[in-house]
Amino acid sequence: MKTVNNRGWFFVIPVVILVAFNALIPMMTVVNYSVQETFGNNVFFWQGLDWFEQILRSDRFQAALGRQFLFTAIILAIEVPLGIAVALCMPRKGFWVPVCLVLMALPMLIPWNVVGSMWNIFALPKIGMLGYFMNDVLGVNYDMTQNRLAAWITIVVMDVWHWTSLVVLLCYAGLVSIPDAYYQAAKIDGASNWAVFRYIQLPKMKTVLTIAILLRFMDSFNIYTEPFVLTGGGPGNSTTLLSIDLVKIALGQFDLGPAAAMSLIYFAITLLVSWIFYTVMTKDDPS
Amino acid sequence: MRYLIFLFFAVPQSAIAQASGWGNVGKAPEPKGFSWTDPLWPDFWMAWTPATLVIFVGIFAAIAFIGILEVWKFHDGLTRKGILGLTTTFGDRLFITLLGSVYIFLAWLGFIGQPVWVPLFCSIGWGIIVFWRV
Repeated sequence: MKTVNNRGWFFVIPVVILVAFNALIPMMTVVNYSVQETFGNNVFFWQGLDWFEQILRSDRFQAALGRQFLFTAIILAIEVPLGIAVALCMPRKGFWVPVCLVLMALPMLIPWNVVGSMWNIFALPKIGMLGYFMNDVLGVNYDMTQNRLAAWITIVVMDVWHWTSLVVLLCYAGLVSIPDAYYQAAKIDGASNWAVFRYIQLPKMKTVLTIAILLRFMDSFNIYTEPFVLTGGGPGNSTTLLSIDLVKIALGQFDLGPAAAMSLIYFAITLLVSWIFYTVMTKDDPS
Repeated sequence: MRYLIFLFFAVPQSAIAQASGWGNVGKAPEPKGFSWTDPLWPDFWMAWTPATLVIFVGIFAAIAFIGILEVWKFHDGLTRKGILGLTTTFGDRLFITLLGSVYIFLAWLGFIGQPVWVPLFCSIGWGIIVFWRV
């Protein structure tokens, strides 16, 4: 009979305590808030499931949710193929490896709000380099403070600039772990570049790519600071993503009950998509 | 005369005020019975009510129960491949049950509305299906 030593689980206790305090207790509080109404002073009145009903049926929530899904879909559709392409172009050995890695890591080291203000100044017409170049040199009417499309393009480009490196670095880590023997065998068999990519590189990158897509999905679905600093949700409501709307309801209007209900719906969506994605990607693994 | 007219209007008014509880100002409120929806510990910021507390106690009890079953009775949580083609343990099945229930409730609230007895029974049915077949 095989005996299993489960004492290793005791080492997990610090993490459990940490998660309890930074996730579980706030989460339980949100559940409590979502079924009650408060006007401050810790006085609560029972409201039942009214907030959920109200939020699910409100046009405002549905619009923000639609924008959020659109944003995440665009981000993933650009960043994942772009990240793989850049990772394939990076050198495997030699002097340029550390240079490329550091250059790739740089955007990720910049805090979110700094990225937002950088791009804000960069893209403002008349002041920013990009805005000036587009308007006065190319003659394109580009104003992210007035034009919805320009605002969307700016937040998408900003996110691509900030986070493609994550996909690149993860894919690169997957690529350099492929032994040379695979490539030699492919060469002997006369495999094309596409075949090498399709049958050697992509399967070997699958695990890291899963993590990359999962991280990018969750981060872009929960994105707040960058679009908030860049456009503040405007012009109009055109870039008011779900998190920006949530903060407006919770802290701007101080409607804690509806905000709690909305954040639970938000959480349920994130959880479901992440779970489906993870399950589908790891389904065939024996581990 | 004016005084009499004043009294004529004032006396019923004060009776109404008395009846609607104005005379109780300053007195201790009468103790109410237990309610599932009243604040459990007033002034505590987490705003617990008995109803929400029971939900969380239920979830944690289910997790603990599954953990105990896995340790002492069924090792590896009766891992099997179910109808969805997923290899699931007890914990996975509990997670699928809870997440599915959340969506059943949200869909009902969004499309039909309160009360939520029907989705409650749907969720229980869903849980039985998940633990039986998935």
